Amino acid sequence: MKTLRAPTLLTVNPSYAFEPGPARGRAWSKLRQDKAGLLGLAIVTVFLLLSLSVLFGWLGQDWSVAEGGRWEPASVNHWLGTNMLGQDIFQRAVFSTRTAFEIGLLVSLLSTLLGALLGALAGWYHGKPGRSWVDGSILWLMGVLDSIPFYLFVAAVAYALQGWPWAMHLAMIATFWTTTGRLIRAEVMRIKSREFVLSARAIGLPVPLILFRHVLPNTSHILLVQATIAFVAAIKTEVILSFLGLGVRDSVSWGLMLAESTQEVLAGHFHNFLAASLMLFLLLLGFNLLADALQDAFDPRQASL
Amino acid sequence: MRTILQQIIRGLLLILGVTFVSFLLMVWFGPDQTYTLIGKNATADQIAEVHHQLGYDRPFSQRYLDYLGELFTLDLGTSNSSGEQVSSILKRTLPVSLALMLPGFIIGNLLGVVLGMIAAFRKGTWSDRLITGLSVSGMSISFLIIIIALQVLLSTPYGLNLFPVRGWHVEDLSSYLAYVTVPTLSLIMVTLGYNTRFYRAVFVAESSREHILTARAFGASPATLMWRHVLKNSLVPVTTRILFSIPLVVISGSLLIETYFGIPGIGKVSFDAITSGDQPILKAVVGLTAVSFVLVQIVADFIYRLVDPRIA
Repeated sequence: MKTLRAPTLLTVNPSYAFEPGPARGRAWSKLRQDKAGLLGLAIVTVFLLLSLSVLFGWLGQDWSVAEGGRWEPASVNHWLGTNMLGQDIFQRAVFSTRTAFEIGLLVSLLSTLLGALLGALAGWYHGKPGRSWVDGSILWLMGVLDSIPFYLFVAAVAYALQGWPWAMHLAMIATFWTTTGRLIRAEVMRIKSREFVLSARAIGLPVPLILFRHVLPNTSHILLVQATIAFVAAIKTEVILSFLGLGVRDSVSWGLMLAESTQEVLAGHFHNFLAASLMLFLLLLGFNLLADALQDAFDPRQASL
Repeated sequence: MRTILQQIIRGLLLILGVTFVSFLLMVWFGPDQTYTLIGKNATADQIAEVHHQLGYDRPFSQRYLDYLGELFTLDLGTSNSSGEQVSSILKRTLPVSLALMLPGFIIGNLLGVVLGMIAAFRKGTWSDRLITGLSVSGMSISFLIIIIALQVLLSTPYGLNLFPVRGWHVEDLSSYLAYVTVPTLSLIMVTLGYNTRFYRAVFVAESSREHILTARAFGASPATLMWRHVLKNSLVPVTTRILFSIPLVVISGSLLIETYFGIPGIGKVSFDAITSGDQPILKAVVGLTAVSFVLVQIVADFIYRLVDPRIA
C-alpha cells in the first residue's frame, strides 16, 4: 500500500515555483513575430558559426602570416587585400570574430553571473533586521565602482597588473555587473514577498536553495537581456581599449585592426578600416536588435515602450 | 534633516571607497617606482632614501592616509617624466578638455531631447520608427569608427578636406572652431543614439500618465502638453542621465578623442601617463575624477530634494 504523503505547499500548486510559465510561452511566440529581432538573431548566428569555424581551424588561420606585399588590392589570393605589413585582411577580419566572441561571452557571462549573485543577496537582505548591512555594503560597492570613470579604471587595473593579458577582461567584469546587480536587486525585493517564496520559507528551505531554485530563475528574463547588452558593451569597449594599447595582445581583433588603420587611412588605404568596421557594425547591430526584441518579449515593463 | 545627514555619510563612505580603490590599484599594487627614479645602478643607501621618499617603508594605513591628504590638499607631487607639478599640469590641461568636450556633450544631449520628444510624441508613426531605427544603428557603431570616418571625410584630401587633420593650435574663435568641429561631431554622433532612445523612453513613460490624459481631455495643445507637462515632469530622470553620463562621455571620451587627435588635454595627459607609467599623474587623475563625481552626485541629490518634493 502506498504511503500517503502530505502535500507540501509547493506541490499543492506547482505553478507558484514556475510562476511565469505561460507568460514565457507567450514571450517566445512574441519573439518569433518580431522581424527586427529575428534579423538580429540571424546575424548573431552567422557570426557565431563564423567564430566556431575559426575555433575549429577551418577559417582565418593565416591571420598573422605576412607573405603579401604592402597594401595589396583585393585579389584571388587576398580577398580583401593586405594591410601595412602584408597580412591578409580577410583572414584577420574573420579571425577577429573569434576574439570578439571570446571577450563578449566571457565578460557577459561572468558579469551577469556576478550581478545576479550580488544583486540577489542585496535584494534578499534588504530591510532584514540585523542583516541589512549585506544590502548596504553591496550597494556601496556598486556606488564606488560606478563613480570611477570606466576607462580610467581599466587603465588603473592594467597599470596595477602590468601586462597581464586578462586585465581588460577583469576590469570589464568588475564594472559591468553593477547594472545587472541593481536590476536584480530591485526584482528580488519584489519577488521575495510573493507567496511561493513565503511558502518556501515557511517549510524551512535554506536561503541559498530559495535564492537559486525559486528566486533567481524568476529573474532569468532580466539576466538574458542584460547578458546581451553586456556582450555589446564588451565588444565596443575592447575596440577602444585595444586602440589605447590596453586591450588585446598577441592576437588580432577588430579593435587592433582599426588601430592599425588609423595610420593607413591617412595614406588613402581603406580596406582594413572598412573590413573591420563593417564586421563590427553588423555584429553589434545584430546584438542590439536581439537585445531589443528580447526585452520587448520577456520584460515589456522595462522595455522602451 | 536625518535624510540629509544620511546622505552626507553615504557620500563620505563613497569617497572613502573610490579613493581606497584607486589607492589599492595605483599605489599599493602599482609597480615599484624606485628604479624609474634613480636608474639601475643604485647603492643600497640611495635605494633606502628613495623608498623613504616614496613612503615605501611606511605601513599600509599610513600610506592610504597620505594619499587622501595629497588629494584633499591638491599637493599631488611632480610628474615622473617631466618633473612638472601635477597640479599645474591639471590646471593647464583642464580648460583644453572642457573647451573640447563641452560643445559636443551639450549639443548631443539637446538633440537627444528634441529627437526623443519627436519620437515619443509621434509614437508608432514612421517618423518614430525612423528615429528609433537610426538610434539603434548609431548605437552599433564604435566610437573609433566614427572618429576615423569623420576625420577621413572632413579633414583629408580623400574627403572634403575642410579642417585640420589633428592637433590643437587655438588662438582665436576661428581656429577654435576649426579644431573643435570634427571632435564635436564625433562626440555628438556617438552619444546621440543612446541619448535619443533614453529620452524617448522617459517621455513616453511620462506622457502615458493620467494627468497628461486629463490635460489632453481638457484640450491642451500638443506643444503645451510636451513643454509644460511632459518635459517639466521628466526633468529629474533627464538631469540624472546627464550627470551620470559625465564620467563615461566626457572623461572617457576625452581620453579617446584627445589621444586620437593629439590634443593636449587631461585625456592625453592620462594616456601618456598610462603608457609611460607616470604614477603621480595617474593616481591624481583617477582619485580626483572619482571624488568630484561623488561630490556632483551629492549636490544633485540635494537639488532634487529642493526641486521635487516627491523625492524627499
